[in-house]
Amino acid sequence: MPHDFLETAGLSDVGNVRQYNEDSIAIDADLGVAALADGMGGHRAGEVASRVAVDVLLRAMRSRWHRLRSADRQHRPLLVVDGSINQANRAIYQAAQAQPAYQGMGTTLALTFFYDNAVVLGHIGDSRIYRLRDASLNLLTRDDSLLREQIDLGLVSAEDARQSHNRSLVTRALGIAPEVAPHLRADTALPGDVFVLCSDGLSDLVDDADIELIVESLQSNLALAAQLLVQAAKDNGGYDNVSVILARIVKPFPAEVLTLWERLTALFRRSR
Amino acid sequence: MAKLVLSAQGAVVQQCFVDRDRLTIGRDAHNAIVIDDPSVSREHAQITRVGNDHILEDLRSANGTYVNGEQMPRRILQHGDVMQFGAFHLRYLNPRAASEADFERTMLIEGIAGDSSARTAVKLAEAQSDGIGARAPRTRLPTGRVKVLAGPDAERVVELDRVIATFGRRGADLAVIVRRPQGYFLAHVEGAHLPLVNGSELQSQALALRSGDVIDVGDQRLEFVADGAT
Repeated sequence: MPHDFLETAGLSDVGNVRQYNEDSIAIDADLGVAALADGMGGHRAGEVASRVAVDVLLRAMRSRWHRLRSADRQHRPLLVVDGSINQANRAIYQAAQAQPAYQGMGTTLALTFFYDNAVVLGHIGDSRIYRLRDASLNLLTRDDSLLREQIDLGLVSAEDARQSHNRSLVTRALGIAPEVAPHLRADTALPGDVFVLCSDGLSDLVDDADIELIVESLQSNLALAAQLLVQAAKDNGGYDNVSVILARIVKPFPAEVLTLWERLTALFRRSR
Repeated sequence: MAKLVLSAQGAVVQQCFVDRDRLTIGRDAHNAIVIDDPSVSREHAQITRVGNDHILEDLRSANGTYVNGEQMPRRILQHGDVMQFGAFHLRYLNPRAASEADFERTMLIEGIAGDSSARTAVKLAEAQSDGIGARAPRTRLPTGRVKVLAGPDAERVVELDRVIATFGRRGADLAVIVRRPQGYFLAHVEGAHLPLVNGSELQSQALALRSGDVIDVGDQRLEFVADGAT
């Protein structure tokens, strides 16, 4: 599967204060998937939750993707993502039930799936997805956080939010219930776009304007951009684990059109 | 636990812990904090807890609620804030709130609207979002600038007042100067030629710049100038 339409870089750092890194990241450029998770739970359970999330997610996406490609119905990338996220959710939930040390563990998730000149965005919690397009950075997700709710309900103004101590309190997460309804939607992905996935360890400490400047100026060297983003978060305190994934669309990526032969053989296989 | 200290003319009158989700302040005896002052309304203000925040709100009092000398109808209380009620001062103390690290750990909390965990249909709603901005950083940063000595844009002075500044040309030779608390650093971004610093090729990933350094990148020659002692 050709992946040269996507250039990626990812970095996850424990930060300056925490003892353990409970963030996890995973990129499968062949598949067109990037995933980032910020785990939570007593005593390192967060590490387990976020690692299970990205591992199960990528495995599930791989197996569902094959089914996606061989089905002769309309492609349904959103359902592929939804099913995969739910599979990851169940895996974390079951692990939490099975071990007392993992009880109550959960994780945020930010996922991008690039398919057929479009992107599916999946997220839950306060990890974020931005898109840089035409030198302008836009936030594509809305945080599931107490602070966000306070702002939406008019309890706190956006300027006051900077003084709130509720930044890292998320209202929704993976792994805490047997089923989950993540935020899912499709959006455009054009050549030149750079998608930025990050945990709140970055967005809480580095202003959007600075994220925009770093990604825009250094898009020809994504690894350096990722490094400088993490470094900026740590220079501004580094109070939490900080993770970032950058994914740049190099050229158009239409889904391969199934030949008539493939369609016929798929039909034949199913009717047996 | 957060604490409130009430004082008048420098003498402490009352201290209490903020140990409930809502407490009121006013002249009436039923308030958690009773302030016996004619300019204070019977129920003057309230402090409510939302997550890790204590939010002070004026309850449409006759004379308003003041924090640190400014009239504010609503305020997310910060450690050390002083509220004024007539001749009285009420100080909010929450050292844990002042120590940033504690509140950065991602934790799950029940939403205000009471989130149910039942599964809902997959939504394809458009999500326009204004991000909640980053916290104001408390680090001190150096100041400096770059003078273009030769090449395109000669004579131009570029103030280094943002986290990064790039020099050279994209798709050709590009270098970046990074502004950090400990100083300015030069790094190579892209291009076949590494930048030169005082005539020598950049050897390391990032080089700490000293005031007076001359940098060659692409067809530009630059002089780096730092303010203050380097």
